[in-house]
Amino acid sequence: MTPMKQMPLLFARALRGVRQQLGTQLLSVMTVGLALFCMAAALLALENAGAMVQRWGAPVRVTVFLAEGATGSQTEALRSALAALPEVANARYVTSAEARATLGEGGDRAIASAPVELFPATIELQLAPAAVTRARVAALADRVRRVPMVADVETYRGFTDRLRDMLSSGRAAVVVMSLGVLLTVLAVVSNTIRMSLAARVREIEVLRLVGATREYVRTPFLLEGAMLGGLGAAAALFALSLVFYTTRAHFEETLGSALGLHPVFLSAWVFVGFLIGGGALGAAGSAAALRRGLQA
Amino acid sequence: MGRSRVSSLFKPHFRPEGHFDRSAAHKPIVVLENVMKVYRADAPVLRNVDLTIERGEFVFVTGPSGAGKSTLLKLLYLAETVDEGRVLFCGKDISRLTDDSVPHLRRNIGVVFQDFRLVPYWTVSENVAVALEVMGLPPRVVRSRGAIGLARVGLDGRGDDLVRVLSGGEQQRVAVARAIVNEPAIVLADEPTGNLDPVLALDILGLFEEIHEAGTTVVFATHDRSLLEVAPHRLVVIDDGRCIEARAGLQDLGEVMRADPMSSVH
Ligand SMILES: Nc1ncnc2c1ncn2[C@@H]1O[C@H](COP(=O)(O)OP(=O)(O)OP(=O)(O)O)[C@@H](O)[C@H]1O
Ligand SMILES: [Mg+2]
Repeated sequence: MTPMKQMPLLFARALRGVRQQLGTQLLSVMTVGLALFCMAAALLALENAGAMVQRWGAPVRVTVFLAEGATGSQTEALRSALAALPEVANARYVTSAEARATLGEGGDRAIASAPVELFPATIELQLAPAAVTRARVAALADRVRRVPMVADVETYRGFTDRLRDMLSSGRAAVVVMSLGVLLTVLAVVSNTIRMSLAARVREIEVLRLVGATREYVRTPFLLEGAMLGGLGAAAALFALSLVFYTTRAHFEETLGSALGLHPVFLSAWVFVGFLIGGGALGAAGSAAALRRGLQA
Repeated sequence: MGRSRVSSLFKPHFRPEGHFDRSAAHKPIVVLENVMKVYRADAPVLRNVDLTIERGEFVFVTGPSGAGKSTLLKLLYLAETVDEGRVLFCGKDISRLTDDSVPHLRRNIGVVFQDFRLVPYWTVSENVAVALEVMGLPPRVVRSRGAIGLARVGLDGRGDDLVRVLSGGEQQRVAVARAIVNEPAIVLADEPTGNLDPVLALDILGLFEEIHEAGTTVVFATHDRSLLEVAPHRLVVIDDGRCIEARAGLQDLGEVMRADPMSSVH
């Protein structure tokens, strides 16, 4: 490896290489930045969608269908027991007649004239959002289902599951897209470095002639690639922050307050990971170019 | 500057571990043993070449165009490797050196070309300093030794000029300064005057003679007869794949050179 004391010199060489073809280099930083911007924006969307699913994906309502012939006192005992659970904010007894009346509100004569036995009496549970998780609701439903006078328990998981499905297909899409972005960045950086190599063949020839080691020749190009990737990542994050913080207030005033959502930005870890990853990706792209370009 | 300086100048660090081999100081600087170099199987460029160059010598290498002068030099700075035989540098067989060791060998060898091989967008100083920088010397040392190198070729004060604004003769001086700035044991010149007019050619030859007088071994490939005639140094002719000692009489050389259409150019 190149001794550390040579690094300032090699870094200066890399900077000089960048300056030498500033136009090309800026263009490739922008291209890398654009690709990484797309990826970061997708990650941001995913992070916020995740928060939304957390917020809305938790069940809010459970219906306990009572078996026929449950007596009034048994039902009341069950209702008050359920109401006392920490997960439950409110438990309301709905008789068969009330159920028929509610369902018949749409003006459907068939429902209104149907025999009342077709509509089971229920206990409607309003869940306490703070204490509820999917697992706890499932456990609760299981427990209640085993009570003899309970016919069935509905947790309305369909909607929640649909949200979760959407989220996981969103995740898969982001993974595929990220792969595309990574390949794009690799290709852009490696092409740029190939151009740098072509522009500096004489320089490389001279370095070898006077006894530069392989690492000495390669390192400035690796640094150049890392700079392209790192600067591209920084540009992407800068642009994304700009977009995020200028539109957040507007979003919170409108859609956000309606849905009770507070958009969050990428975490510091993702931020740092992006910068380091961009640099590493750039260096890898450069290494690919060097492998072919420095053989002669 | 006599021969006594030679051994103090010579620091063979072409092996990565960089041990100084005392016995190397008493060995010929270059020995070619039975060297064969083949690019195309039907026509070997060098065949059974034996050549010994002593420390501190000035050797002209000449021969018709395509005879293999450049190839011979390339075998010494390892731009090419031999197909058969051995090349000894200070007693060490370099013909099968690993890739990692080649840079260390090259730091002991200065090379000058017909086409100068400078980086046109670098300054004069930068073109010279590069030979010191790759060795990892501190910037202060690079600056001071670079300035000494430029002074030796008569270019002091031109350090900040871009190389591309210099004349051909000046550019070749920069190339010479780069070749000698790290005080190599040997300087190889491959037709260094080929792109210069006759007066400048003599000028550059004079520069190499000064370098030689300071104790450095010089191998100078040329097919410019006028240079061979003015400087009475050892003369090796490559012809038909073999090396022949020819200082005995330049008239023998005349026979060889007449076969060479290029020699009339100079
Ligand atoms: N890399 C190569 N591949 C194939 N043939 C080569 C290669 N390098 C040199 N040759 C051939 O080897 C022969 C010797 O070439 P070389 O350059 O050593 O000659 P030279 O004596 O330096 O000639 P000149 O005086 O014209 O410079 C030539 O015929 C050349 O075509
Ligand atoms: Mg030649």
